[in-house]
Amino acid sequence: MNRDITFGQYYPADSFVHKMDPRVKLILVVAFIVAVFLVKSLFSYIAITIFVIVGILGSHVPIKSILKSVRGIIFVVLLTAILNVFFYSGGERVLVHWWKITITVESLLFALRMALRLIFLVLGTTLLTLTTTPMNLTDGMESLMAPLKLIRFPIHDVAIIMSIALRFIPILMEEVNKIMLAQKARGADFESGGLMKRARALLPVLIPLFVSAFRRADELALALDARCYNATPHRTKYKVLKLGWRDAAGAFYSALLIFAVVAINASFWGLFGFSLSV
Amino acid sequence: MSIEVKDLSYTYSVGSPFQKEALNGVSFSISEGETVGIIGSTGSGKSTLVQHLNGLIKLTSGSVKVYDIDLSIKKPDFKQLRATVGMLFQYPEYQLFEETVLKDVAFGPLNFGATKEEADAAAEEAIRLVGLDFEEIKDKSPFELSGGQKRRAAIAGILASKPKILVLDEPTAGLDPVGKREILRLITSLKKSYVKTVLMISHNMDEIGEYCDRVLVMSEGKLISDNSPQNIFADESILSGTGLSLPHTARIRRMLETQGVFLQGNPLSAEALAYAIADALGGRS
Repeated sequence: MNRDITFGQYYPADSFVHKMDPRVKLILVVAFIVAVFLVKSLFSYIAITIFVIVGILGSHVPIKSILKSVRGIIFVVLLTAILNVFFYSGGERVLVHWWKITITVESLLFALRMALRLIFLVLGTTLLTLTTTPMNLTDGMESLMAPLKLIRFPIHDVAIIMSIALRFIPILMEEVNKIMLAQKARGADFESGGLMKRARALLPVLIPLFVSAFRRADELALALDARCYNATPHRTKYKVLKLGWRDAAGAFYSALLIFAVVAINASFWGLFGFSLSV
Repeated sequence: MSIEVKDLSYTYSVGSPFQKEALNGVSFSISEGETVGIIGSTGSGKSTLVQHLNGLIKLTSGSVKVYDIDLSIKKPDFKQLRATVGMLFQYPEYQLFEETVLKDVAFGPLNFGATKEEADAAAEEAIRLVGLDFEEIKDKSPFELSGGQKRRAAIAGILASKPKILVLDEPTAGLDPVGKREILRLITSLKKSYVKTVLMISHNMDEIGEYCDRVLVMSEGKLISDNSPQNIFADESILSGTGLSLPHTARIRRMLETQGVFLQGNPLSAEALAYAIADALGGRS
């Protein structure tokens, strides 16, 4: 059953991270991505790991749901890691030398770092989508795009298009599911046969799906018109986004992370007389 | 026995926050020739139940047997099962996809292993059976048909596979009163000549009362009653708490009782009610 697939994989819970303002969460995710790219020393990875673990604990999302997102990219991570090991040029401590391939300690470390970076990127963004409903996300984006109004960018239209698209994904998913069941009941077989046969077997699903998508779009356009949508230039919101103490705490916490990463990169500017560059 | 369901339970999305128990210990059997109505409010498990009969939901607990196809074994013959049980979903016109009506109706038989000629012959028979003009309609695109015609074409698509059991999920939803009556009349005539057993989900108690000879009442995943419509609609006791109401005919009978007019039995069609009232008021003229 496709019932398990909820787009944006939102995980309903009542937690600190869930209650944060979506705008702040969006900015913090961007900040987090920057921090991940700033990382040089393996010690800063420890800082980031702690940061992510605290974030996950503060979201009340079971670790299983979060790791599911990592499982999806594990192939990409492994592939880049292997390529990095082989194509990293430089490094002195040679481990294996065979034909044109040289594997050095440095190349292994580099590959490990890149792999960790990818995993952290996915973990951070997943935490955002798991704790924020798609509607809240678009609201947040709309609010963040507000400066673009100055250059007459139709942010409100873009936002409504985004939220309609997001809103309709689960509906269309359900529709796919229904049509598939109906065609299965008529003996359609989606599971066996080669690639071509399977692709062709999807036609009885895709055609009704397109027909219904257009029908829905038509009906929605009519409904929007009937309610005089866009007739008022200044729309008010039912749910007004408000910053709270949680947002301040989250921002402070992320600032701490960036500071830690920068400080570790610079070995605390030599204040303590040791080097952390590994 | 054409259908035997024993202790059937099913839970959606096990282990996620969306986990929902849809069926809980449902058991019943249906013999060949019955017309059975299934009623229950939204989310009572009716659709989950009938989807099991067609192997569209994997059996997880309990057993389902359709003729001699046992669904609790490891690899049941789904093709055979789906050819035996014809299933009409809600708004079946949304499953039409082929270029022509003939091709669309022949889709089922072709899937079940018929040759092109056999499938076309079966499709022609089915299209005529549902009361559409075969010559006029066969080369039309299904999307050109009117709403009522589309639904008939979709029903023909199910009948073309010559099912022994017909399962209908709200066959009259979204149709106007005339369309509703026509579809019900079609189902009644099919029942006499073509399919042996009919299962029908409906929210319309009038239809259930008039057309079914047995009713299963579902509530929160449980089968709370399995009886004749006359008994189930005798008073509100069985339906209380299910969100369902009595058919209009039964309500009129109850209203008459409060006025001191007692009818013989529990007439559920408009015609039977009229006769019963005439009898109670001192004979027909």
